[in-house]
Amino acid sequence: MTGWWDDYLWAALTVAKVFVCSLVFMVVFGLSGAAAKLSSSKPAQAVANAYTVFFRGTPEILVVLLLYFGSAVTLTAVGRLFDPSIRFLDIPPFWAGTIAIALVVGAYATETFRGAFLGVSPGSIEAARALGMSGLQTFVYIRIPEMWRLALPPFGNHMLSLVKDTALISIIGLEEMLFVAKQATSTTGKPFTMYIVVGLIYLAFSTLVTGLTMALEHHANRHLRAPT
Amino acid sequence: MSTQTSPIIRLVSVGKRFGDFEALVDVDLEVRPGERIVICGPSGSGKSTLIRCINRMEKHTSGTIVVNGHELTDDLRDIDAVRREIGMVFQSFNLFPHMTVLRNLTIAQRLVRKTPKAEAEAVAMHFLERVRIPEQAAKYPAQLSGGQQQRVAIARALCMKPRIMLFDEPTSALDPEMISEVLEVMVDLAGDGMTMVCVTHEMGFARSVADRVIFMDRGRLVEQADPETFFTRPQNERTALFLRQILRH
Repeated sequence: MTGWWDDYLWAALTVAKVFVCSLVFMVVFGLSGAAAKLSSSKPAQAVANAYTVFFRGTPEILVVLLLYFGSAVTLTAVGRLFDPSIRFLDIPPFWAGTIAIALVVGAYATETFRGAFLGVSPGSIEAARALGMSGLQTFVYIRIPEMWRLALPPFGNHMLSLVKDTALISIIGLEEMLFVAKQATSTTGKPFTMYIVVGLIYLAFSTLVTGLTMALEHHANRHLRAPT
Repeated sequence: MSTQTSPIIRLVSVGKRFGDFEALVDVDLEVRPGERIVICGPSGSGKSTLIRCINRMEKHTSGTIVVNGHELTDDLRDIDAVRREIGMVFQSFNLFPHMTVLRNLTIAQRLVRKTPKAEAEAVAMHFLERVRIPEQAAKYPAQLSGGQQQRVAIARALCMKPRIMLFDEPTSALDPEMISEVLEVMVDLAGDGMTMVCVTHEMGFARSVADRVIFMDRGRLVEQADPETFFTRPQNERTALFLRQILRH
């Protein structure tokens, strides 16, 4: 292991960055998808349905490859229109991979958020409107917080999916932990050691995320506990 | 009944359809400021629909509703103006479960009235004291009894300083021993001259507080009279039958 620790550290940091960025995108995709599915607009519903069908029905590693190479081919073609000497243009693997896994997990989150929005008690919404709160105020102060509590348990699963999906991005050349382990293996000839380290670091990450989910749930359910 | 004051609520031949079902048929009703009205009637008679039309929780499908000079149309400004004048209390309390009692009472003041935080909290505590549960301010709704929750709901509506209070079966979801604590608060409110329209089957409340009792059946106002006349000499056969049924126990 000597000599590889700093590589693992940087790779782990990359994984953490991918996780945080993809989490933000995942929430945005999931909320937009749920809003579209619950809207009365038929085109919006159709787009959201196509989105969830496609991204829940395709292997994730394929989505990573398609998004990276698809965008690279397009960018290169467009770039050549302006400068024929260009040979290859791509979106950095970091962003292509981050968006790809966020799209996939966001498709699952769409269904989670949709179900949770449907679980918000209509009585609260009615009371808010009767008090004169606007539709937007009702959404921000009543619907979202009540939805959030219901969405949290499955949302914890989605976060764990994101953590593990970061490993897929090595396939498009992001220097994350699997990438480092592969390099280390070829120099040291110790594949098991090099890969078990990756496993342990992932386990540490997912334990952290699980703990975070539990803390969030504890906070979201504070109103259901007996007063202290 | 005096006729000098103009009505604060006026319904002229109001109808409401849900698809093929006629929930309200040709309803005429005038409520004067300070008047206390009790509406009763069998399940499905349209009494809840009627008061829900007054603050546009339901949209009436024909006729005219004017509240405090604002006609209820699709114009959102008029609806907002009307909702600012009307407090509503629901059968199932409808408190915001994720907020403390105090925040339940301040949130609309702050968002709708733009009241500063300290002032909103002072108003909230004032009304919590009026409904006799100031010590519950820091708790969450699920930590209170049904009667306490309904009193919080009444206080929440009062915080908006409404001119009219609508009560939609406020005691129907309560255990028997909690009904009186809610009715006491409502009697208090009536004593202050609040305009009240209450859908309720609490006939004791109707007798002691109401200026007028209205009986509804199948979407129509069948009979209205002062409580004395209403309970002792109902004019309509259906009213008499209904009263026999609910007063039997």
